[in-house]
Amino acid sequence: MLAMDQGVVEDWLSEFKTLPDSAVFSYATSLKDKGALVPALYKVIRENYSDLLEPVCHQLFEFYRSGEPQLQRFTLQFLPELLWSLLSVSAARDPHTSGCIEALLLGIYNLEIVDKDGQSKVLSFTVPSLSKPSVYHEPSAIGSMALTEGALATHGLSRVVYSGPHLQRETFTAQNRFEVLTFLLLCYNAALSYMTATSLQSLCQLSSRVCICGYPRQQMRRYKGISTRLTVTSEFLVQLITGIHYALCNGEVELGSKALDDVLYRAQLELFPEALLVGNAIKSSLHSAALKSNNKEGARSIQVEITPTSSRISRNAVTSLSIRGHRWKRHDAVDLGSPDELMDISEVDEGVWPSGVGPDMTPPTITISNSVTTLNLGAKAMKKCRLSGRTSKDKDKEAGPLTAGRAASENTELAIKRLTLTTSQSVPKAGALTSLTRTASAVFSRSFEQVASNNAPPSSNHNASEAGRYSCSLQEEGLGYLSPTPNHTQRSPSISVHLGSDF
Amino acid sequence: MTARKSGSRLETEIERCRSEAQWDKIPELVRQLSAKLISNDDLGELLLGECKLQTYLKENPIKQGASPRGPRPKLVEVRKHLTAALDRGNLKADYIQEASLLMAKLCYVEGEYRDALDHYNRVNLDDMQLVGAPVYRLSMIAEAYATKGLCLEKVPASSPSLSNKNTGSPSSNRSTTEREQEIITCYEKSGDIALLYLQEAEKALSAGIQNRSPKPGPTAPDQELGYFLETGLQRAHVIHFKNGNLTQGVGRFREILRAVETRTTQNLRMTIARQLAEILLRGMCEQSYWSPLEDPPTVSPLDDPTRQGHTHSKNYSLSRRPRVYSGENLFCPQENTEEALLLLLISESMANRDAVLSRIPEHNNDRIISLQSASVVYDLLTIALGRRGQYEMLSECLERAMKFAFEEFHLWYQLALSLMAAGKSARAVKVLKECIRLKPDDPTIPLLAVKLCIGPLHWLDEGECFGKMVIDMGEKAAEFRAKGYLAIGLVYSLKATDASLRSTQEDYQRKALGAFQRAQSLSPTDHLAAFYLALQLAVSRQIPEALGYVRQALQLQGDDVHSLHLLALLLSAQKHYHDALNIIEMALSEYPENFNLLYTKVKLESMCRGPEEALLTCKHMLQIWKSFYNLTNPSDSGRGSSLLDRAIADRRQLNAMTLPDFSDPETGSVHATSIAASRVEQALSEVASSLQSSAPKHGPLHPWMTLAQIWLHAAEVYISMSKPAEASACTQEAANLFPTSHNVLYMKGQIAELRGNIDEAKRWYEEALSINPTHVKTMQRLGLILHQLQRYSLSEKVLRDAVQVNSTAHDVWNSLGEVLQAQGNAAAATECFLTALELEASSPILPFTIIPRAL
Repeated sequence: MLAMDQGVVEDWLSEFKTLPDSAVFSYATSLKDKGALVPALYKVIRENYSDLLEPVCHQLFEFYRSGEPQLQRFTLQFLPELLWSLLSVSAARDPHTSGCIEALLLGIYNLEIVDKDGQSKVLSFTVPSLSKPSVYHEPSAIGSMALTEGALATHGLSRVVYSGPHLQRETFTAQNRFEVLTFLLLCYNAALSYMTATSLQSLCQLSSRVCICGYPRQQMRRYKGISTRLTVTSEFLVQLITGIHYALCNGEVELGSKALDDVLYRAQLELFPEALLVGNAIKSSLHSAALKSNNKEGARSIQVEITPTSSRISRNAVTSLSIRGHRWKRHDAVDLGSPDELMDISEVDEGVWPSGVGPDMTPPTITISNSVTTLNLGAKAMKKCRLSGRTSKDKDKEAGPLTAGRAASENTELAIKRLTLTTSQSVPKAGALTSLTRTASAVFSRSFEQVASNNAPPSSNHNASEAGRYSCSLQEEGLGYLSPTPNHTQRSPSISVHLGSDF
Repeated sequence: MTARKSGSRLETEIERCRSEAQWDKIPELVRQLSAKLISNDDLGELLLGECKLQTYLKENPIKQGASPRGPRPKLVEVRKHLTAALDRGNLKADYIQEASLLMAKLCYVEGEYRDALDHYNRVNLDDMQLVGAPVYRLSMIAEAYATKGLCLEKVPASSPSLSNKNTGSPSSNRSTTEREQEIITCYEKSGDIALLYLQEAEKALSAGIQNRSPKPGPTAPDQELGYFLETGLQRAHVIHFKNGNLTQGVGRFREILRAVETRTTQNLRMTIARQLAEILLRGMCEQSYWSPLEDPPTVSPLDDPTRQGHTHSKNYSLSRRPRVYSGENLFCPQENTEEALLLLLISESMANRDAVLSRIPEHNNDRIISLQSASVVYDLLTIALGRRGQYEMLSECLERAMKFAFEEFHLWYQLALSLMAAGKSARAVKVLKECIRLKPDDPTIPLLAVKLCIGPLHWLDEGECFGKMVIDMGEKAAEFRAKGYLAIGLVYSLKATDASLRSTQEDYQRKALGAFQRAQSLSPTDHLAAFYLALQLAVSRQIPEALGYVRQALQLQGDDVHSLHLLALLLSAQKHYHDALNIIEMALSEYPENFNLLYTKVKLESMCRGPEEALLTCKHMLQIWKSFYNLTNPSDSGRGSSLLDRAIADRRQLNAMTLPDFSDPETGSVHATSIAASRVEQALSEVASSLQSSAPKHGPLHPWMTLAQIWLHAAEVYISMSKPAEASACTQEAANLFPTSHNVLYMKGQIAELRGNIDEAKRWYEEALSINPTHVKTMQRLGLILHQLQRYSLSEKVLRDAVQVNSTAHDVWNSLGEVLQAQGNAAAATECFLTALELEASSPILPFTIIPRAL
C-alpha cells in the first residue's frame, strides 16, 4: 500500500468524526469528488492484514448508521469486496479471522432487518392481478384468464412477503452465514442503480470466484486464490444473478457474462433449480436481444427502436385468438352455411340467449356441412370447427348479469373474432378423452373444460363418440364451477362440426 | 350510387371516408360534390390532392430509417391540386389549414424540409382546434406534428430563421438544447394526438357499426398507422433513450401505456410494455424507482450523467388528451418488480393470444415470430418472479407458455425447473422426461430428476433409471459423471434401507458402496462423495474405514454439518462418547439451530453427563423452536399471521396423521412402510416452504413434528431417570399434536412398563404396531413383554420379524437370544447373543440413517 493511499484513507477517517450533523449531507455529496479515496479503500479491504482495516470498517459502519442514503450507498458499494474477503478467509480457515469485516456486515444486517421503530422489517410486494383494473389495463380487455387454483388464491391483489422477518444475529455461523449474506445482497441489489462500475465489476468477480473455486473450471479462469470449494445456497446465487444481470446490461458485458456462466455452471453442479431458472432466463433474453441489435453502443444496452405497430403474424395463421372466434357453444344444432354467417350469428347471440328447452333428451347429432369428408382436425380445420349445443334457460339466468357486462364490452370488438362464450357449460372434468378431445385440449390447453357425459351417444363418427360434449369456457369458467348443473348428464350432446375448406 | 346525396349527407360521407382512409372512394364523391355547387371546386382540389398523396404513400410506404428525397413525378399532380386549392383562397379557414398541412407533408415526402417547416410555421399547429375536430383532422394534426419533428431533425439548427419561437441569439449549445426540446415536444404532441385519434376512430367505427344495418359490411380493414403516426408515437421515447435520458423515456412509455388501448395500438402496447419491463428489470432498482403516478426524481442515477443538464421537462399542454385508464381503486405499482410484473402479465396475455397454433409449413415463420415474442416475455417473467421467489406463480405462468412449447427445449426446461422450485415434484419429473427427450446429451436434466426421485418423491426405481442415464453418457457427462455415480449410489443405499429381505439388502448395500467408491475416485475433491462413502460404510458397520472417509470429507469441507454428525456417531459407535459429544458441541457452535444434532446431543449427554444435562438441552431446544417459528410473518395475511398460526390451522389435518419415526433407521430417509407418513411429511413441507423462502430447509420439516420430537426426547430422558409422571406429561404434549403417532404410543407403552403395568404396556405396543407394523423398537419391547408373560413362541415370532426388518439392532438379537434360551434352544441362543455382542460393539448411539441422504 502506497503512502499516498494511506494518507488519503487517514484523512478520510478523521474528517467524518469532526463533522457537525448539519454538514453531513453536503459532506456526503462531496465524497464523490474524492477520486483517490475509493480505490484506496478497495486496497485496504483486499489486503486483509492492513492496520487500517479495522478503522475503515468502523467508519463504513458509521456511514451506514448515519441513515443518510448517500453515505449508506457509499458503504454498500464495497459490499461485494467485503463479502469476498469474508468468504475467502472463512474458506481458507485462516486463523486471522476478519473480525472487523464480520462485525461490519453483521452491523449492516442488523440495521437493515428492522425499521425505524426497531420492529422487524418484512419486505413484501403486491402480485399484480389482471383481474383488477390497473393504471395500464382494464380486465375486460384482457379476455380469458385461466382459472387455476393459484389464480383463485391470489384473486384480487395480495401482498406477498419475499424477505423477513429476520432474526438479529450476533455472530456468523455456518448455518446463518448465507442467510445473512443473501439478505445483504438483497440490500445491495435494491441500490444497484447507484453503484459504480468498480463495484459492479467487483460483484462479478465475487460471483465468479465463489462459484468456481475448487472446481475444474478454476484452472480455466486462471484464478489463483484459494482453491477450496465454498458452499453456496440457491437463494444466494439468485441474488448474485440479479446483480450480474444489472451489470451485464449496464456496461460490464464481458465480466458479467463470464460471471453469469460461472454461476450457471455451479448451479448445474449443485442442481439448484431456482438459480438455473433465473440464470437461463437472463441468458436467453440477452441472447435474443443481442440478435436484434449487434451494435455495442455505449455503456447501456438499453435500446429502443421504432417498431412496426402492425402485427407481424400473417392473418390466416390460426392463433389462440383467431380460434376463439369460433363459438363452441350449445345451441340447437344449427347448420350454418358460410363462416361469415357463423360469425354473424355468434354476434347476434351475444346478448340474448336462445331460450333453452330444458333437460329434454335430444339424440346426438353430428352435422358436418360443407361436404368435407374427413374429419381432419388439424389446426386449419379447427378454425372452422364449431361445436354447438343446447343450454338451459335457468342456468343462463344465473349467469345473466355477468354476461351482460362482458357482452357489452365485446360489442365494440365485433370485428375481432373474439371469444364469445357459452356461459354455463362447464362442469368439473371427468371421463374419457377421444382423439378429438385430445387434439382440442392440446390446442386449447386449459382454455376449456371437457365434459364427458356418462351416456356416450352412439355415433357414426368415432371422433366424437366418447367425447360426449364439450363446452368452451374461456371467460366464464368461474360460473361453470359455481353452477354445476346435474341435468347435464341427462341431455345428450349435440355436436355440429363445421369444416371449411377455404382456409 | 344513383341518387344524388344531399349536401350534408355527402359531406358526412366524405368525412367518413377520410376518417376510415377509404381513398379510392374520394374521386367519385368529389365528382358528386362539384356537381352541386361551383364553390366546392376548391374543396374538391383539396380532397383530390389528399387522396392522391395518401394513395401514393400507401403504395410507396416510407420505411423507418429511410429518408425520402427528390420530387416524384407521380406527386406533380398532387402539388397541382393543392396549389389550386390554396391559391384561390376561397376555402374556409379549416380547409386552408388542411391544405397547408397536406402541402407540408408533400414537401416532406419530396425532401423539401425547409419548405415544409415554412408551411407549418404559417399554419401554426398549436392553434389548430382539437376539441370538436372531425376524426380525420386529429390524424392530420398528429401527422403534422410528427412530420414537423422529422423536418426539424433534418434541418441543421444553426439556421435561426427556422426556429420560430427562438428569435434571440443565445449560445449555440443552448440553441441545440432548445432545438432538441422542440423536436421532442413535436413528437410527444404527435403521439398524444395520435392516441386520441385512434381512440376516436375506434369509437366512430363501433358507433357506425351499431347504426348501420345489423349485418356489418365487409369488416373494416385493420387500421394501419402509417409512417408518420408510427414515428409520432415512438420517436420521442427513442430519442430519450438515445440520449441516455431514461427517466423521460420511462415517463413517455408510461404515458402511452396509460392511454386506453385501441385495436391499432395493441401491438404497440405489447412492445412498449415489454420494453418498459425490460428497463425496469435491467436498468432500475428499488431505490431509483418512482411509481407511475409520482413525479420523476429531479436527479436520477438512471440518466446519463454527462447529459444531466439536458433533461427536458414536459412543457406543453393540449386542449384534449387521450383517455387514460381511470376509476376507483386502480392498482398502481409501488416497486419496480411490481410494475414489471404487471406489464409482463399484460404482454403475456397478448403474446398468448397471438400464439400461432397451426403447424403447417407455410406458417413456420409466423410460428417463430409468435414464439420469439412470447419467450422474451416469459424469460422476463421468470427474472421478475425469480427475484421475489414466487416460483408457484411462475410455474403457472410457464404452464400457459406450453402452447408454444412443442419441441422447444428452453420452454420445457424452464417449466420443469419452475415446477421443481415450486415443490411440485411429481409433475417436474414428468416434464424433465420430456426435456431429456429433447436434449438427451445434457447430464444435468436426469440429475435434477434423480434429485427429486431421491428426495421428496421417493421414487427409487425411476431414480435408478435417471441415474443410469447419466452414467451411460460416460465421458460426455464430464464433471457430472461423478454426480451420476453419487446419485445412483444414493438410490441403492435407500433401496437397501427399504429392502425387507436380508439378501437384497446386502446386495443393494454392496452396489451402493461400489457406486460411491466410483464417485469418490472420479471426483476426489468432492466432499459429498467421500461423505456418502463414509456413511454407507458406517451403515454396513465398517467403522474404521468410515472414519477414514469422513475425515477426508471434513478436510474438503470443514463445516459440513452432516459430516460432523456422522463423525460424532462413528465415535459413539466406538464408545468414545465424550469425543463424540465434543464433536457435536463443536458442530452446534456452527449450526446452533440444527435439531438433528441436538437430538444426538441429548442422547450423548444422558450417557456421559447424566440426564439433568440432557433435560437442559431439551429445554434449550424448546426455546430455539419458539424463537425460530414464532416470528410473525404477515405474508399470507388472509390465512393467519405467523407460521405458527398457519400450523395451528393445519392441526386439524395433522390429527389424522402419524408422526414419522424419529430415532429410527427410517428417519433420515423414508422407509417403504412408512411411505404414507412420508407423504404427509412431504405435503407439510410443501406447505411450509411455500410460506416463505426463508423457511428452514434443513432438519425435520414441519414445526409441529419438530416440537413433538422434542417432547418425546424429553420423555425418553425422564424414563431413563425413572420419572414416569414427568415422562407421561411430556408424552402427553406430543400426543396433543400427534395422538395417533406410533412413537407416542410406544412411549406410552414404555411409561406403562416403568409403572409396572405390563398389560397396559402390551396394549400400547400392540396399538403402535397396528399403526406401523415395522417399528423395530416396539417389536423389541413387545417381544420382551411376551417373554415375561411366558408366551415364548409368539415372542420369538415378533423378535424374528424385528430382526428381519433391521438386522443390525443388537438389543433385538439379545432379546431373541433370551427367548430362545428360555425355550431351551441353547445353540441358537448362543448364536444370537454372539451376534448381539458383535453388533453392540459397533452400534452408534443413534442409527446412522438419521442422517438424511439427498442429492
